[in-house]
Amino acid sequence: MTREEIIAAVNNTFTEMLEVPPEELSPEKEIFKDLGLDSLDMVDLMIGLQRKFGVSLRQNEEIRKIVTLGDVYNFFEKMEAQLRAGETPANRE
Amino acid sequence: MDRRRVVITGVGVVSSLGNTPAELYGNLRNGVSGVRVMTEWTGNGEPSLGAPVPLTAAMEKTIPRTWRRSMGRIGIFAALAARSAVESSAFPAEELPNGRCGCVIGSTMGGSNSISEAYRLMLDNRLDEMSAMQFFKCVSHTAAFNVANMLGIRGCVLSPSAACASALQAIGLGRDLIAAGTQDMIVCGGAEELGPEVPVSFELIEASGGFDRSAPEKASRPFDASRRGLVCGEGAGLVILESLEHAERRGAAIFGEILGYATCATGTSLSQSDAAAIRRCFELVYRDAGLEPSRTGYVSAHATSTVQGDREEAAAIREFFGDRVPVSSLKGHLGHTLGASGGLELIASLEMMARSELLPTLNLERPAEECAGLDYVQRVRPHEFDFFLKNSFAFGGINATLLCSRYCD
Repeated sequence: MTREEIIAAVNNTFTEMLEVPPEELSPEKEIFKDLGLDSLDMVDLMIGLQRKFGVSLRQNEEIRKIVTLGDVYNFFEKMEAQLRAGETPANRE
Repeated sequence: MDRRRVVITGVGVVSSLGNTPAELYGNLRNGVSGVRVMTEWTGNGEPSLGAPVPLTAAMEKTIPRTWRRSMGRIGIFAALAARSAVESSAFPAEELPNGRCGCVIGSTMGGSNSISEAYRLMLDNRLDEMSAMQFFKCVSHTAAFNVANMLGIRGCVLSPSAACASALQAIGLGRDLIAAGTQDMIVCGGAEELGPEVPVSFELIEASGGFDRSAPEKASRPFDASRRGLVCGEGAGLVILESLEHAERRGAAIFGEILGYATCATGTSLSQSDAAAIRRCFELVYRDAGLEPSRTGYVSAHATSTVQGDREEAAAIREFFGDRVPVSSLKGHLGHTLGASGGLELIASLEMMARSELLPTLNLERPAEECAGLDYVQRVRPHEFDFFLKNSFAFGGINATLLCSRYCD
């Protein structure tokens, strides 16, 4: 996936699942503070992203470091790069 | 101890026949039935009948996602009805979080479809896909806390569960809390969502079934000689209960007063209604209200269209009141909305009292011999009355009844 495709897929999860208006979605936005989500939403967000990207995220410690929407894009871009390089993330199902 | 007077200052409904009290009443008055064949329930044998609420995504989305995310179907019903009830009461929004306002909403099954969804994920080895919200949609008090959360209520939040008597127990409990001075206002009533497990269970124990599927609107026929059993429905019927002094202080419109409430167990059977136990519940409610039964102008019967239940309720009414009190049941129109039924039927009865007329039992064409000796309402009847009784009886041997009056100071 290209970065643009990753951004589109992540944004689609935010708009479809969490009903965040598309115009709110920019990389610098903090997920809790700016987008109004909470820890329960984060669990469901991870479930939605797991489904979209075909990976298991529940045990992934990197997830806990995510603050902004840009962090989410970067997380999946990094994961995609690892997969392209032939690395199999320990958490890949 | 002196008891504070408790009045009804708001009403809200979600039903198969409309989502405002006026729309519901209009359809009841026009003899419309909410019952249809539930073709979406696939399984063994013929699909059951049901009276579902035609809920749309647009209706759901009128509730902001922050509140809606933890609501299954029952939570949505309760939230929509609660919002209407609060609006109709013109209750001051700034008072809702003051700790003197509560929420008491009962149901039979809680979020039964959400529980089924969770087990489906487990059986498919997909539990890691379960939403963080699933628990909040499943639990038995899901309707009560979701409404309380949405409204910002910080007083008592309770959820009595007594199957088909749940709504009346909730309203009775609300009455008690306000009468005792514990709360000033409570959003009260019942909600239920329809799933296949309850109708199938009722068919197994022969409380339902054998219907002519080509005429589903004729299936539910309380007190009729050809009744075959109950048809399950769904919805929510909620009222705003308020202490009279609080309602008067803010100049609220008053729909009626709760004069008496009683609930008692049959104590002899899980599934069979019993005329003697129902009569005992009647005696208790009139004692609680301090009213002579002869002043009663209408009985809104529980009458679910079962062979045994209707017979026992008819016997209790006949023995207690004789044949001088008009009687009807609204389950011919709505089916049996289980935990919601007491709330929905109470609200329709309040409207009958306001309009000085009685609505008939839909499909009651030929009263059964074993139900004879009552004054059955079989067409819309002009009738001025100031006191009425609302009955609910539940599997598990639970009886509940509420005595209401037109408000006069």
